[in-house]
Amino acid sequence: MAVDITLLFKASVKTVKTRNKAIGIGFESTKDEIFKRSRPKSGFSPRAKEVITNITKLKDFLLQHRKDYVSAGSLISSDLSRMTDNDRDQIDQDAQIFMRTCSEAIKLLRSEAEKQVMSAQIKEHRGAVLDLIETYLKGVCKLYSEQRAIRVKRMVDKKRLSRLVPEHHSPVEKKVEVEPTEEDTIKEESSEKTTSSEVQDNPVNLWEESRVEDELSPEEIQMFEQENQRLISEMNSLVDEVRQIEGKVVEISRLQEIFAEKVLHQEAEIDNIHQLVVGATENVKEGNEDIREITSKAAEVAACLGSCQLRRR
Amino acid sequence: PVVLSAISAASSTTVELNIALKRMLNFNAPPLKNTAAEPVWKVLIYDRFGQDIISPLLSVKELRDMGITLHLLLHSDRDPIPDVPAIYFVMPTEENIDRICQDLRNQLYESYYLNFISAISRSKLEDIASAALAANAVTQVTKVFDQYLNFITLEDDMFILCHQNKELISYHAINRADIQDTDMEAIMDTIVDSLFCFFVTLGAVPIIRCPRGNAAEMVAVKLDKKLRENLRDARNSLFTGDSMTAGQFSFQRPLFVLVDRNVDMATPLHHTWTYQALIHDVLDFHLNRVVMEEGMGVEPSPAGARPKKKSRKTYDLTAADKFWQKHKGSPFPEVAESVQEELDTYRAQEDEVKRLKSIMGLEGEDEGAISMLSDNTAKLTSAVSSLPELLEKKRLIDLHTNVATAVLDHIKSRKLDVYFEFEEKLMSKSTLDKSLLDIISDPDAGTPEDKMRLFLIYYITAQQAPSESDLEQYKKALLDAGCDLSPLNYIKQWKAFTKMAATPANYGNSGVKPMGLFSRVMNTGSQFVMEGVKNLVLKQHNLPVTRILDNLMEMNSIPRNKNPFQEAIVFVVGGGNFIEYQNLVDYTKSKQGKKVVYGCSELFNASQFIKQLSQLGQK
Repeated sequence: MAVDITLLFKASVKTVKTRNKAIGIGFESTKDEIFKRSRPKSGFSPRAKEVITNITKLKDFLLQHRKDYVSAGSLISSDLSRMTDNDRDQIDQDAQIFMRTCSEAIKLLRSEAEKQVMSAQIKEHRGAVLDLIETYLKGVCKLYSEQRAIRVKRMVDKKRLSRLVPEHHSPVEKKVEVEPTEEDTIKEESSEKTTSSEVQDNPVNLWEESRVEDELSPEEIQMFEQENQRLISEMNSLVDEVRQIEGKVVEISRLQEIFAEKVLHQEAEIDNIHQLVVGATENVKEGNEDIREITSKAAEVAACLGSCQLRRR
Repeated sequence: PVVLSAISAASSTTVELNIALKRMLNFNAPPLKNTAAEPVWKVLIYDRFGQDIISPLLSVKELRDMGITLHLLLHSDRDPIPDVPAIYFVMPTEENIDRICQDLRNQLYESYYLNFISAISRSKLEDIASAALAANAVTQVTKVFDQYLNFITLEDDMFILCHQNKELISYHAINRADIQDTDMEAIMDTIVDSLFCFFVTLGAVPIIRCPRGNAAEMVAVKLDKKLRENLRDARNSLFTGDSMTAGQFSFQRPLFVLVDRNVDMATPLHHTWTYQALIHDVLDFHLNRVVMEEGMGVEPSPAGARPKKKSRKTYDLTAADKFWQKHKGSPFPEVAESVQEELDTYRAQEDEVKRLKSIMGLEGEDEGAISMLSDNTAKLTSAVSSLPELLEKKRLIDLHTNVATAVLDHIKSRKLDVYFEFEEKLMSKSTLDKSLLDIISDPDAGTPEDKMRLFLIYYITAQQAPSESDLEQYKKALLDAGCDLSPLNYIKQWKAFTKMAATPANYGNSGVKPMGLFSRVMNTGSQFVMEGVKNLVLKQHNLPVTRILDNLMEMNSIPRNKNPFQEAIVFVVGGGNFIEYQNLVDYTKSKQGKKVVYGCSELFNASQFIKQLSQLGQK
């Protein structure tokens, strides 16, 4: 187990101080402290810390509103959720702007660090600091994209459930409110299907009618039964379809995340390759020059030898 | 924090070490679990000792993840970076202290966290205090710690004392004829300091057992004294109360067995057949890192062209490498098979991903295609997200293919399987189907060193020394093969001395009566009691060190305590190797619920050991 000897160290400092006093050596303490502070303090560190503070603000902001953002409110009452969709859109927008700003700030610091002349160690240190900040930013962005994915999923869920609600609940207002949207979605999705529009109007009429009339003729009953069966099977297939789509949407959003990451990776690698190619071109150029030198020197030597031989003869 | 299983009675050193290092690198505070925490950056300054301790446990990436932007050697040119805190991890030597004082005077960093690998003396602490005062940097020295980490953990259950300067405490250093008392004292102090640190880190006071009359006993006595002194001072003891980590649940003191290398001289020379031990024997393997040259074979190059540079590749064999963890103790043929299996599995997975790529080109015209598409979307998502895993798998497969191929090349060119088989037969006193002379004289089998190793094992394990004429014959054959005979001189001396020390070997320990059984083991220690090995399939047999441990663990050695030991640490003074380690690992596997840790003062392969024997034989 490690032993903390900081206090021992401080005690040693006192010992040395007293010893020095006794011998007569004194160290000016307070004056130099002030001068020490005026060491060249580069702008890098405070600015880097500022970016971190900003990212932390974003993180706190996201976490603070996360519960409200993610809660879909009660699925039954559509207007008592604590956050409207507009609010959520606003949060999304703000978060995106913030993330972009932070990313730009990091890029700026990096390009400045490139331009400045400083020792290799400081350069490496600053590069690593910026890498750390970027990783932090990525982590916070992940928070954002996670809750956004949840929101999307909930929206799809809500749509699906809200379409099925009228089958189980009786309040008419509910139906009237919900059905138009249901009809819209049905219209959209079944555009390829050969569903006649009468069928869509009929459900409303049928149900209202059934409450008004007490008796129905046997033919009507049969017809209604058939209609019911058809409607049930249609609904089921639509439910399946919507389930598929919902799954796809979630997967697509996940894929998008992954692909975005990969593209960023590739960008870095392409930069790398570019640098390597530039380096290689340089090497080849130098190599060619070397070869030219050598051939010209060889030519000289040959010429000399030729002239020597001539002279000898 | 350590997740303790109720079964294991004590925690492992690697875990403790990891915790200790991570804490140190977090400004001596427990690291936060929250991964989305703000990054704090720092630079790490170490000496070569510190580097050797950290590098087997933490990769550069892990250091970066902890916020370390630069890691630099203490004695290197370092530029001032005035806005960053610096964490130092160094030995408290004179030159290191001087350099730290210099750093303080030059105002290199914003603040200083000084961590000393072993305890710093009061006077050196005052030197730093003095420099800090002179430089007005006292407030900048934020923390000073004695880390007690003066040893290197290579595996969860294996440690060595040091890598730098190991010649100071090598077998040669301890056993040379011209050693002075002061030299010996210094060596013993070094060893004891490290062992003390080990037990402080483990958080347990061991029960020490060792044979009498050699270097191991000296170490045992000194260690015992140091432990007692520390325990006596209850206020400052390192083994009580809050200095122990929260997870310590050692209900029983562990057994600490100290043995001297001289108890078994054949194992360090033995040719081996398990993966890790083979790598250590034939390749360049230090601190869990293999260094290999690629591009074997000489190509005739046209005159005047620059010679083709051989690229050096380094591979780190870590705890995260699942294949390595599974197979480092496996016999080599099994390893080769498994690499092939892994390669096949990987190729199948790769093909799956490729197939998905072609399917995604579908236009989705009919129902079947649409449903297949959504099914494949899910597959693609999982394939894409498992890509990093796949790439990592590929990297490891490449690594092990290269390493195993290199090992196999050595086996084939030197006929190491022949040597292994023969030596196993020698050690188990089975009948030999070839003559020793044949192997030595065979120009195709092995390097001169291989032949010398084989002969020395023969000599060591022989019941009776060969006759003079036989010996001359062997010597001539060895010289013809190009061997250096000086190790033989030393082994002769050793053998003679071992025979002399046939007096009952008593235990030196913390006050318990001597064990007669050990003396018997001591005398017959060179005999490996082991069945014959067939087809180079390793059968479990116990090497001398393992047998010593087994005897001790099974006995009820403390009068009041009737329970056999659950945890033991075996330490070889004078050096050890992976063969011994592997043997202990295999032994431990066969014993439910027991935990054994292996340590040695230095780690050498046969080549390095023979060099030391050669030096000793030349005096």
